[in-house]
Amino acid sequence: MTLTQFFQNVLNGLSIGSVYAIFALGYTLVFSILGIINFAHGSVFTLGAYFTYMLTGLAVGFNGILATTRLPFALPFILALLVGSGLAGLVGVLIERLAFRPLRKRGSDRLLSLVSSLGVAVVIVNLIQYLVGAEAYSYRSDPFGLGQPTVNFGTPERPIPVRSVQLVIFAVSVVILIVLTLIINRTRLGKALQAVAEDTVTARLLGINTDRLILFTFFVSGFLGGMAGTLVATSQSITGPYFGIAFGLKGLAVIVLGGLGNIPGAVVGGFVIGLAEAFVPSQYVAYKEAVAFALLFIILLIRPQGLLGRVQVQKV
Amino acid sequence: MTDFFNTYGNLMVLMVFNAMLGLSLYLPLMAGQLSLASPGFYALGGYIGAVFSTKVFQSSDGAFPVSYVLLEMLVGGLASGVLAIVVGIPALRLRGIYLALATIAFVEILRVLSLNLTITGGAIGIFGIPQPFNRPLKYLYIAGPLLLFSMFFMYRLERIRAGRALTAIREDELAAGAMGINPTYYKVLAFTLGAILAGMVGALSAHFLNTWNARQGTFDASITYLTFALIGGSRTFVGPVVGAMLLTALPELLRFLGGIDQLPQSVRDLFLNGRLIIFGLLIVLGTIFFPQGIITPRLWERRRRTKAVRPAESNL
Amino acid sequence: MSIRISRFMLGVLLLSILAACGGATATTAPGGSGTTGGATTSGEPIPLGIALAQTGNVALLGQEQVIGAKLAETYFNSKGGINGRPIKLIFQDTAGDEAGAINAFQTLINQDKVVGIVGPTLSQQAFSADPIAEQAKVPVLGPSNTAKGIPQIGDYIARVSAPVAVVAPNALQAALEINPNIKKVAVLYAQNDAFSKSETGTFQNTVTQTLKLELATVQEFQTTDTDFTTQATNVINVNPDLVIISGLAADGGNLVKQLRELGYSGLIVGGNGLNTANIFPVCQKFCDGIIIAQAYSFAQENDVNKAFRDAYKAEQKKEPPQFSGQAFAGVQVFVEALIALDSKTKLDTLSLEQIREQLNTQILAGKYNTPLGEISFDPEGEIIQSKYYVAQIKMDETGTNGTFNFIR
Repeated sequence: MTLTQFFQNVLNGLSIGSVYAIFALGYTLVFSILGIINFAHGSVFTLGAYFTYMLTGLAVGFNGILATTRLPFALPFILALLVGSGLAGLVGVLIERLAFRPLRKRGSDRLLSLVSSLGVAVVIVNLIQYLVGAEAYSYRSDPFGLGQPTVNFGTPERPIPVRSVQLVIFAVSVVILIVLTLIINRTRLGKALQAVAEDTVTARLLGINTDRLILFTFFVSGFLGGMAGTLVATSQSITGPYFGIAFGLKGLAVIVLGGLGNIPGAVVGGFVIGLAEAFVPSQYVAYKEAVAFALLFIILLIRPQGLLGRVQVQKV
Repeated sequence: MTDFFNTYGNLMVLMVFNAMLGLSLYLPLMAGQLSLASPGFYALGGYIGAVFSTKVFQSSDGAFPVSYVLLEMLVGGLASGVLAIVVGIPALRLRGIYLALATIAFVEILRVLSLNLTITGGAIGIFGIPQPFNRPLKYLYIAGPLLLFSMFFMYRLERIRAGRALTAIREDELAAGAMGINPTYYKVLAFTLGAILAGMVGALSAHFLNTWNARQGTFDASITYLTFALIGGSRTFVGPVVGAMLLTALPELLRFLGGIDQLPQSVRDLFLNGRLIIFGLLIVLGTIFFPQGIITPRLWERRRRTKAVRPAESNL
Repeated sequence: MSIRISRFMLGVLLLSILAACGGATATTAPGGSGTTGGATTSGEPIPLGIALAQTGNVALLGQEQVIGAKLAETYFNSKGGINGRPIKLIFQDTAGDEAGAINAFQTLINQDKVVGIVGPTLSQQAFSADPIAEQAKVPVLGPSNTAKGIPQIGDYIARVSAPVAVVAPNALQAALEINPNIKKVAVLYAQNDAFSKSETGTFQNTVTQTLKLELATVQEFQTTDTDFTTQATNVINVNPDLVIISGLAADGGNLVKQLRELGYSGLIVGGNGLNTANIFPVCQKFCDGIIIAQAYSFAQENDVNKAFRDAYKAEQKKEPPQFSGQAFAGVQVFVEALIALDSKTKLDTLSLEQIREQLNTQILAGKYNTPLGEISFDPEGEIIQSKYYVAQIKMDETGTNGTFNFIR
């Protein structure tokens, strides 16, 4: 492997990894507070991308029951991105109220919330198809106004090109990571969240309004999911109602690898899997899909708390 | 009535298959172990059935001998059992969601393998699998007794030492260990029994579906079987059986409702094209309104208790 | 409280299941009063089954097929249906899996009592569901099943979609006409997609055996992939003159986009999976110039295609794609074979079994002037199509709308 190839692989890995990371951030956030996997996260990610699409004033296709409708106004892309993510956040809140809270209030098995979140995912995916059809959608070209499609990290003779949108996604995922970490470690809100994550009942006894905090967590998770969906869609377009579902499974591997519920871990896990996939030799590329899961299997057997996770004391 | 059996004959077979797959997931769940590996063993059994009947057994024209099918099921079950022991011993040290994730990884790795091996036919899979029966309904001749046998087996299991050991592990693994129960042994046993059942169903299913490919036995299937067990009820073996049958029939029921001419067009349209929206909603509602599942042991225990209690009450 | 609710719900569920059982036997006759029939048709409509993927992750393709089939229904009923009797399409969704295809076929055959079926969408579904129609002796026309071995499933199975091996090489010939200096070729394909896998085999054979070009690299990807940086940079590193891609719309489109963004400027040949306007939003302006072999051309000059094209454009505001054209042709073959059969022996004098059996013979015997051009079938049920086409995508300046320009 030449040096150029090596750097190209590293950059490719980081580029793929940043998509995994940005997907996984909202995913792992809910786990960190509630200890449950929200299977509906992939569909909120998809919804966010569709919301932004509608908010930029573009019309839907011919195949859903909303055929050819468009909103009466058009927002600039960045504003649409923020409003769209906000709407996705509200969907997150709605999911918590309708599918998670009733179960939590009864003290039901945590596995049940896995199933009900899955039911929500089925509803959202099929609702999207029912309303706007299965076709692909894309934003107006170059929504960030980046100008050039690639940035060359090599020399003109030995180019190491990286797509500009990927750089944006990379930057945003790092920024979100920093902001989230700061909120959780430096603010009262963050301390309260940590308390809820540690022990919900005790937190409530200490006077923390746990329901409101959990609602807030779902809002943030949905917001991040919707934003991630839009960002990934600027890179790959919205490829249909299953757009985000495709990330769900690999997202699982990512958040476990980094340590379930560990926020920096989600980003590290994303980059590790991205890099591992990028370095699969080309003759074995058919097995690339298995890399994330082989890593997952191995890490579970030797270090179940994940790369960055702490060993949890088994509560008996 | 013939029409009914012709139309829904194969749905009935699918219901029986899925009931057994629900049971195969329920077996480790009896010991509190959430394993999502069943689709992997189902896929393995299917490939064994497909490869044997298209490449090993050369049957002359006409119906494929039923005895060969039974032999394939035996081989499929055994192979799955052996694989289950190999995978189960290391994997079952993991608990809760970690075991679920490890088994998801296992299923994914098997899927990628089957996409790449020549013997499994790659992405196209294996087709032209010979038919032992001239009507799909006749698969019940094999599947029906197998389901009844498995149910009887489960009925007995819940009442003998092994079954009680599994329940003890589910309730409290440490205490069970202290009572002299070897948790690893019983967990691997339940996991292996589930795998054998899934492997046998797979081999039969390959004939039923006429073709076998890497799209059988995926992550989606894992989640579907889990839904069977949790919606049906995970405290008695009747739960997954009922859950599987109801949930398999539900989309077809909606398809039927969508075909009723008397209903308004928009409602019919929702039943047909939005059928999965309703399906998802019912799953969410199911988890909320039936947190113990539809079938719980309480259903018959209460009846028994009220019968026993009533004479005593009348004395007061 | 919750227990009372749950008992109530259980009751509702049981009742509805009972209703389903009872109802299924009650409504055996093909219902409806020919609402779709035009002014010129009357009498009991003839039911034709359409089993396509209307939901699930292949709905993108199924959706285009449904449009084609519906347009055919309207068109032929306005032309007088089956000698005055309307044709009625009955849609049953197969979703994207094998069991779904089997369920849809069974419902169509036994409950809806259709005379024949157009479907399913995927070859893998066809391998699963077609044997059921074969056993029940119901004629099936595959609208998009291009894998090897489909017509060989049985006597009642035929297809209007030409197999890959016949269509695909035309695109390479066209590429060589545009750039005769092509030496090095890079091939990419979706390794988890049955169709793409068999298509790439054909492409690779044509490159090395027929055209004697250098196959510089073969890269694999998954239809679920979204980032193709690795494959794209590997391709660019060998500096090819031609890139051939076999995949589906979303992944194929993204691959093209990323390949172009990363600096590839040579010709691109796309496989049949990319043969849809659905890739325009995915690769946008970078779709420009992709060469795709076609089994259908909207520019085909015959009356039926003009009518089809106009109707499609009026509804969808774009040119009809191949998948819609093939679904239209599937319905058309059934309609014309039914007309021919009815002219020989009145359909209402025949039992359903007789209609199905004789219809099958009639389908294989006939010649049809469809939007695909003139087609007929060999005795196995394989399509014999007179013309294939090659189109090159031309995107407008904004990169949102494109057209397929026919170059061959």
